[in-house]
Amino acid sequence: MTRTPPKDIAHRGAPGPFVAPSRYRNRARIIHDLLPYLAILPTLVTFIVLLGYPLLLLLETSMQKFGLYEIINHVTTWIGLQNYHDVLFQGPAGLPDFLTVLFRTTVFMLVNVSLTIVLGTLVALLLERLNKWVRLVLTAAMVLAWAMPVVTGAVLFQWLFDSKLGVVNWAISSLGIFGDYLNHSWFETGLTTFGVVTVLIVWQAIPFVALSLYAGLLSIPKELPEAARVDGGSERQIFRHITLPALAPLLMMLTFLSVIWDFKVFTQIYAMAQGGPDQQTITLSVYSYIVGIAEQKYGYAAAASVVMMLLLLVVLIPYIRRMIRSLEEQ
Amino acid sequence: MSRSTRRIVLNGLGILASFFFAFPVYWMVNTAFKSQEQFQTYTPIFIPTPTLDNFTRALNQPHFLDYVRNSVFVSVTTVLLALIVGFLAAVTLARVRFRGRRSFLLLVAVAQMAPFEALLIPIFLAIKDWGYNWVPTLIIIYFIFTLPFTIWSLRGFVAGIPVDLEEAAMVDGATRFTAFWRVTLPLLAPGLVATSIFCFITAWNEYLFAYTFMSEQTHYTLPVWLVSFRTFLGTDWGATMAASTLFTLPVLIFFLVVQQRMVGGLTTGAVKG
Repeated sequence: MTRTPPKDIAHRGAPGPFVAPSRYRNRARIIHDLLPYLAILPTLVTFIVLLGYPLLLLLETSMQKFGLYEIINHVTTWIGLQNYHDVLFQGPAGLPDFLTVLFRTTVFMLVNVSLTIVLGTLVALLLERLNKWVRLVLTAAMVLAWAMPVVTGAVLFQWLFDSKLGVVNWAISSLGIFGDYLNHSWFETGLTTFGVVTVLIVWQAIPFVALSLYAGLLSIPKELPEAARVDGGSERQIFRHITLPALAPLLMMLTFLSVIWDFKVFTQIYAMAQGGPDQQTITLSVYSYIVGIAEQKYGYAAAASVVMMLLLLVVLIPYIRRMIRSLEEQ
Repeated sequence: MSRSTRRIVLNGLGILASFFFAFPVYWMVNTAFKSQEQFQTYTPIFIPTPTLDNFTRALNQPHFLDYVRNSVFVSVTTVLLALIVGFLAAVTLARVRFRGRRSFLLLVAVAQMAPFEALLIPIFLAIKDWGYNWVPTLIIIYFIFTLPFTIWSLRGFVAGIPVDLEEAAMVDGATRFTAFWRVTLPLLAPGLVATSIFCFITAWNEYLFAYTFMSEQTHYTLPVWLVSFRTFLGTDWGATMAASTLFTLPVLIFFLVVQQRMVGGLTTGAVKG
């Protein structure tokens, strides 16, 4: 793919022991060799200053007693791994402890990822079987949901699920199956608040998953399922033995991505409920924000962030390895 | 089940799913155009008599123009910065084989997926002395958010343009630079547009960092304003939905332009596994 221009070959091979390279050629060659590094230099500097430095600062802060007192008096108190110990065994007063939040976040993430992937796959399979016009309508509808800014989504879903004037309560009540939902407050318990957040997240996440999988479905050669059908294979067998294996790598990547996104979700929960009611919807990102920024326990919050980052690495590493490997195969 | 019943059922499901995805968006726009009496009813009105009252109320909020200006300024500057810095790196990655290329590629991939939320505390501590509540701070933060993706995405687009085209131009006497400028760059235009739009949307939508750092009202960006506006006004859903519609509109238009290209972007190579 990448080739060096012809003139380069010329002066790379030419200078033998008895031919002194001209000063001009020498300089040109140095510049030529340095050029790629000059081109990536701004990026490298940016990464070091804006990513590397905060990362170091995060690790440093996580090993310090660092609160409002330390900020005002400019003192540094090293306490080793004390913050990590506290994160695991002794939560801050008045807030849920880390392990509770971690457990809650994990369950929340698992529910959201499963719903997104399963429903996304179903929608992709449905897309394949629809007639042209319905497919176009469904794609357009999904793009609408996908394009919606997260903040707007959060505000909008509060309106849809509003207890008095919300259209959802009206619809459920009119159905008549579940009884009277007028004035039902969705944001009164942690579970129903999570429910609304989940509907919002899944609503916005399905389009990306479904459209990616649909593109994957289109790339499966038509002859395979047809041959299987001729040989008497049922639709379920075709799905299990042809479609699913073909989509497996794509499904894997989409699952990784969803895990990463749903594990660190902040805006939907914070903008809708600020972690309430009664701190019941505090997930990890909301926790670092509340403990760190609002309660100013910087050291503790930094340690919690480090733990969260390490947990994410479990999914990040295989994801990144796959991305790099696929690039090298190109 | 006969074939035709099956098709009717499936298409029915398709319509039901379309309704599920489109309805919330429809409801936002629908509410935005309602008068106070029309949205404050227990029995919802599905086709309102449109009025612009809500938009007027939203636009007349104090500092509204400041928020629009902040958001546009931050997003556009982020795009420009990320594009300039990212373009150089992307072209180098796609076209030149240099020592350390692999490690650099890995670095970009890691940075692209880095959980930036975890860096909230250190960035907060690092800038508290100088950049607090200063709008350009957000540009610097969004720049690092979007740079890795910019490189990754542009690299893909450059690699997709055959190098033979440039070489042909060079055989005809063009220098390497002219060949790139005249042949590759024009072909790259759609890629540049798609990448810029993605960066723009990321910066335009960001909430956590803007909310944490821009504590003074005049420094809010639109997302921060939208959430606080809704909390503050409580029951004025009309104005809130009008503001949401206005905020969403540019994103929606941009999104439609690049939607096709977004599908592949984050799962590059997954097809090959």
